[in-house]
Amino acid sequence: MSSEIWSPCILRDQERCLLVMMGELSEDLRILSTCKLLQHDSQLLEAVFRTHRLSYETRGSRSKSLHDRAVINCQYSMATFSTAERKRRPHGDRKSSEMSLHLKQTFEAAVLTELYPRSQIDIYVKILQADGGNYSACVNAATLALVDAGIPMRDYVCACTAGFVEDTPLADLCHAEESGGGTSLALALLPRSGNIALLQMDARLHQDHLDALIEAAMTACKGVSKVLDGVVRQHLEEVSVLTRD
Amino acid sequence: MAAGFKTAEPLEYHRSFLKENCRPDGRELGEFRPTTLNISSVSTADGSALVKIGNTTVICGIKAELTTPPSDAPNRGYIVPNVDLPPLCSSKFRPGPPGEQAQAASQFIADVIESSDLINMEELCIEKSKLCWVLYCDIMCLDYDGNLLDACIIVLLAALKNAQLPEVTINKETDLAEADIQKKQPLKINRLPVGSSFAVFDDSIIIVDPTAEEESLSTALLTVVTDEEDRLCAVHKPGGTSLSGEKLQHCINRAITRNKEISKLVDKVTESTKTAK
Repeated sequence: MSSEIWSPCILRDQERCLLVMMGELSEDLRILSTCKLLQHDSQLLEAVFRTHRLSYETRGSRSKSLHDRAVINCQYSMATFSTAERKRRPHGDRKSSEMSLHLKQTFEAAVLTELYPRSQIDIYVKILQADGGNYSACVNAATLALVDAGIPMRDYVCACTAGFVEDTPLADLCHAEESGGGTSLALALLPRSGNIALLQMDARLHQDHLDALIEAAMTACKGVSKVLDGVVRQHLEEVSVLTRD
Repeated sequence: MAAGFKTAEPLEYHRSFLKENCRPDGRELGEFRPTTLNISSVSTADGSALVKIGNTTVICGIKAELTTPPSDAPNRGYIVPNVDLPPLCSSKFRPGPPGEQAQAASQFIADVIESSDLINMEELCIEKSKLCWVLYCDIMCLDYDGNLLDACIIVLLAALKNAQLPEVTINKETDLAEADIQKKQPLKINRLPVGSSFAVFDDSIIIVDPTAEEESLSTALLTVVTDEEDRLCAVHKPGGTSLSGEKLQHCINRAITRNKEISKLVDKVTESTKTAK
């Protein structure tokens, strides 16, 4: 990847190389922040985030507004070239709708929505290249986008997958490992308190193994949160230097 | 104070700069924004490229599939371009089915591919009436700041240059196609079409490479596509104020110079990846 375009800060975590760039896109004032996140040089993802008052023009959305808090609207979609087989329906299919709903629920747990009554916060996530752990990359990118936008949150939301492959718990599974038939678990964590925002596992697993798996996922999430925190601080330093001038 | 003036009277704000023959971001009237190009960014696609013209960011991914050729052209493959303007690139776009601008851009790209003879379609055919390649070119805008069409053309060109297709043979016994993933061939690109977009202000001042703000304040837009032999491939002026013949010629000359700049950039980037391998 040419450094002219991405100018990344590369931070290695123990699982996969995480490249994070904040605030790279857009001068449009209404798009408050963007974030590109690259996990293991094979999954690119982008989360763009904006907040706006629900207006009369949007069809039927006046009825969706809540009087005491903000509505969070997530849309997850994949680029048609993101998977090995060309994806015919990038959005609107069941998997995308399920993902959008999960993201919405995850962020409702973390964002302080009471501060923005009668408003809507839109989170648009697009996967440019998929190699496993789609949900976790989405959550991590959206967290950074929310931080970049200045939306108050209870804590960073970090997510990671974990799974058993031949009786060894592994964190951050790639596509081959996920589709290999072993169990995989996706976990979204608020690292400071250790509270789980979302946990999803759809496979057979013995009860005794569950603890080990959650432990592995939590350690990975805490690692990710350190990386995200480092990126945010570095970005703030750069931005404050620029604005000081 | 300047920010207040800009919000309240955007047209006057721009006019005050144009009087001094420059623009709010410091460019000359005939200057393009810095263009950066990155290829092979997406490894799941058969060819990909990412281009940034100033803040406008566009990515293209090419997926090649095997299919039967259409009955009216049995010895040709085909290319299906698609331009996607998702809501994340600008607040102008709403989620849902592709809007007018995206559809018009897709059609424009299809016309440019056709008219510039970019790829020899006969080469995409593997066996007449039985098997051919179809190239799905999905162009996605990641950040919209004006001048979408130029960026789409450049990114399509770079992605096609970067694309590698496996060799396909038809097994005589089973009559099935077999693709050899190990042996990959790049596509043969005949022409290098490059576009230049212009915006007309107040019926008289022509600026090159408008940003989104300038586009919305302009009275007419114009896009000229030329190829590397200084031939015109497409001229697109959708309505707006009328333009005299000599102004149009002036734009065409500027487009020809731009073609050379972009060809050099694309060559430089393709060479650098070849040496990197």
